[in-house]
Amino acid sequence: MLHNIALILGTTLMYSTPLIYTALGGVISENSGVVNIGLEGMMVVGAFAGAAVGYFTGNPWIAFMAAGIAGGLFGLLHAIACVTFHADQIVSGIAINFLGPGISLFLSRILFDGATMTRSIDLNNKMPRILNSIFPNENILIEKGYEGTRLFFMNFMNLFLGNRYATVYMAFILVFIVWFVLYKTKLGLRIRAVGEHPKAADTLGVNVAKTRYLAVITSGVFSGFGGAAMSLAIVSNFRPTLISGHGFIALAAMIFGKWKPQGALLACLLFGSAQGLTVFLGQFDFNVSSSILSMLPYILTLVILISFVGKSVAPAADGIPYKK
Amino acid sequence: MIKKFLKLFSNNVFLFTVISIFLGLFIGAIILLAAGFNPLQAYGVMLQGIFGKPKYLSYVIIRSTPLILTGLSIAFAFRTGLFNIGAEGQYIIGSTVAVVVGYFIHLPAILHIPLVIICALIASGFWGGITGFFKARFGVNEVISTIMLNWVALYLQNFLIYTPGFQKPGGEVSYAIQPTASITFLDKWKRSEEGIAWLLDHPFWRDLFKTPINWGFLIAIAVAVLVWFILKHTTLGYRLRAVGFNLYAAEYGGINVKKNMVISMTIAGALSGLAGALQVMGVSHQISLLAAMEGYGFDGIAVSLIGNSTPIGCVFSGLLFGGLKYGGPKMQPAMGAPSEIINIVIGIIVFFIAIPQVIRLILEFGKRKKAEKV
Amino acid sequence: MLNKKVVVLLCIAVLVVAGCSQAKKEAAIKVAMVTDVGGVNDQSFNQSAWEGLQRAEKEIDIKASYLESTQDADYKPNMETLFDAGNELIWGIGFKMADVLSELATMNTEQKYAGIDCFFEAPTPNLVGVLFREQEPSYLVGYIAGKMTKTNKVGFVGGMDFFVIHKFHYGFLAGVKEGNPDCEVLVQYADSFTDAAKGKAIANQMYKNGADIIFHAAGGVGDGVIEAAKEQNKYAIGVDKDQNSLAPDNVITSAMKRVDNAIYNLTKTLVEGTFPGGTNVVYGLKEGGVGIAPTSYKHVSAEILEEVKGLEAKIIAGEIVPPTSSEEWEAMQ
Repeated sequence: MLHNIALILGTTLMYSTPLIYTALGGVISENSGVVNIGLEGMMVVGAFAGAAVGYFTGNPWIAFMAAGIAGGLFGLLHAIACVTFHADQIVSGIAINFLGPGISLFLSRILFDGATMTRSIDLNNKMPRILNSIFPNENILIEKGYEGTRLFFMNFMNLFLGNRYATVYMAFILVFIVWFVLYKTKLGLRIRAVGEHPKAADTLGVNVAKTRYLAVITSGVFSGFGGAAMSLAIVSNFRPTLISGHGFIALAAMIFGKWKPQGALLACLLFGSAQGLTVFLGQFDFNVSSSILSMLPYILTLVILISFVGKSVAPAADGIPYKK
Repeated sequence: MIKKFLKLFSNNVFLFTVISIFLGLFIGAIILLAAGFNPLQAYGVMLQGIFGKPKYLSYVIIRSTPLILTGLSIAFAFRTGLFNIGAEGQYIIGSTVAVVVGYFIHLPAILHIPLVIICALIASGFWGGITGFFKARFGVNEVISTIMLNWVALYLQNFLIYTPGFQKPGGEVSYAIQPTASITFLDKWKRSEEGIAWLLDHPFWRDLFKTPINWGFLIAIAVAVLVWFILKHTTLGYRLRAVGFNLYAAEYGGINVKKNMVISMTIAGALSGLAGALQVMGVSHQISLLAAMEGYGFDGIAVSLIGNSTPIGCVFSGLLFGGLKYGGPKMQPAMGAPSEIINIVIGIIVFFIAIPQVIRLILEFGKRKKAEKV
Repeated sequence: MLNKKVVVLLCIAVLVVAGCSQAKKEAAIKVAMVTDVGGVNDQSFNQSAWEGLQRAEKEIDIKASYLESTQDADYKPNMETLFDAGNELIWGIGFKMADVLSELATMNTEQKYAGIDCFFEAPTPNLVGVLFREQEPSYLVGYIAGKMTKTNKVGFVGGMDFFVIHKFHYGFLAGVKEGNPDCEVLVQYADSFTDAAKGKAIANQMYKNGADIIFHAAGGVGDGVIEAAKEQNKYAIGVDKDQNSLAPDNVITSAMKRVDNAIYNLTKTLVEGTFPGGTNVVYGLKEGGVGIAPTSYKHVSAEILEEVKGLEAKIIAGEIVPPTSSEEWEAMQ
């Protein structure tokens, strides 16, 4: 039983990682007052850039950075529209959701002989699975002479943390960093100030445009990371359907988490664990249709929202262009 | 008439939209050129594929009909300050209920058609209303609940298809609706022997009737007018717009904000559901297992935005969108150009629509140049 | 004022171009296909179909093209588009196109149509249904899995729960049983063809529960299954195409559905004038329409492959009939 729990926890981590990055992107952008509904498109771009660069360079870190840069470029585009030209932020975000997949698939066809699926990256060239040497799998444990409770414990840890890529741990660190920056630094104060009261911030000498640019580009970078966490860790290639709705789930998670990094983290973990539970329950031969079972994560999210979370209020100036 | 048209034309929003469309096509052309395709030929194929035959135009209209309605749905919610990402799910509910009522109930057409529409409206209105209710009662942000409900609707349809007595044997589809629930023009006649014989002698009509041309488009136009009327000329519309314009002021002014949120989402849901119902009654006649979202709701967001969230704008942008989506992929078989270009073009169009300022700058620049010359 | 002129001029220019752009038709016979919503690069049957057409283009004198669908409602208009382009034969890829195909075939009696995974009750003389015996290669890979498992447990991950996937599912069960009567088969459906993470989670769970070989028939979900095999150094079995290239050390074999062969062969009959209109053509082992991957020798011992050859012969001879559904499977017990 405990091992099943370990597996559900492991699945939770795997499922939520891409969502965490992307939701953090949403948190940063919206705290500065720019709605980013283009998370999905930015994720697709990141997933493609990560997989393509990973395949050609064989270096996961360069690939991961490339994914961030690609996402960041779309963030820049969103920022130009929203900050400099006072665009309707939802419209611009929707445009990015069309442009992201369109451009990714177009480039993929050029780079991979007309295919929209990139070639698979070798396991050794993917993100490192850093805890695998500490928690190896059962056979190796037995070889090493583990037994009894120790074997049980190590097995538990292997199912939970073994085969988890560096992206998983980095996501958690990033949550902390974003939280720290937003709430404990001057920069964070500025970001939140331009999101709540851009006018007041402006009078106090904060450069609203610059701050928002920074936040929106960062948001693109994080969403790109989110996409790469899919294509460089969960699988090892990009295909057009790899990101299907994840960006919107991340958007929902950000709102669920009340526009706070720690809240978004919890929301992503909740969603991931519900998927883990779905997979766990799916192995038994219930008399329940798999379609009904598949609804579980979505309904569970709604129920928890209604019963525990309730009202969430966006930053006051979220979605409103600032004109001097 | 001409005066009115000119007025419309000089209207900034309309002009900007047209310029955005051309800019989108222009940048798309550059991308095509860079990829080694002749953009003029590509767009030629596309336009030919849209306007080349009565049949093609008919398909554009058929393709546009659901988009106009989901666009209207999103525009309607926008006017009340709500962002309805749930059009996709509401569409699914509408189409599912339409097939259930259209298949299981036997009535003469004159009763059957309205009954199917009404049931679909009620169910999808309820589905949309849930979101409004959650927001009003529990403060749940409509963006989250609609995203979640989209997936629930998708799985619900997949579940219902397997209901015994509803699934057509040998396929992952439901039974088709009764002919009495169909709104396809002369559906029965054009398949009958005399129909086929008559059509053989009349190539124009034969061409046109090859498509499932139906009443849906006219209904969509009528609904657009109705929505325009509700928003502009009724107290309900006034209240809804007041809530969208300034929530607190509306509340202060004695408007029941919560009630209006529920009403707005219910109507928005019903509009998307109508899209699903008309699609079933006029085009598909059945529902099938869905492996992924079909995108009627997400495209609807773009339609509503291109149409500046006005009912009439949605009709035109729906047609534009339908044309691009129908004609665009024809580039592929004709010249091997990847159809992703169409998504890029749409993205660029929407992007420019987001930034009217840039276009204003370009126009002003043009004017200045002209002034310099003189 | 200026702007208006520019707009009008542009409109005219575009229309003129449209008028002039009718390309000259080539002499070769044109054959085209409509993909389902998976698109032409789905690494599965759409792609396989397109490869078949491309091969036909190279080897026999035809001109091939395709049109992608993004919604179920696109199938009919896409077929019409290809009809207008003057194609001799139009392919529909996927069982969802069956109704549209038979409707169009009745309406356009001069136009030839064919559908992959489509069965027609009473096909008109211009219509051909193409079906595959997916259960046959599934049976063979099941046998291999049964022979090669060290834990006496193997797994099957299905995409969505419907009849095409059931053929893989029950064929596999029967094959495993033939190879190893004591072997247990874990079965789980992902209810998706896209959610790779879910595929990986399901595969992790199966490996944890003791399975050491997993067969998937789940499209993009299968990417996750194969990834899990890679990470844990276990075995996986691919589907539709030879998927060994996705994980050369882990994908021991694949249940191939040679949509490409079927398309190529039928297109050839068109050129040769022996188009089997009015029938449903079934591709099994006998017709070379299905089979196990050519890379199987890398992991599967020659001895087992020899036995598989024997089974193949028996299936072709009709001595073994792998089940296609839960009813047939239960009837065998």
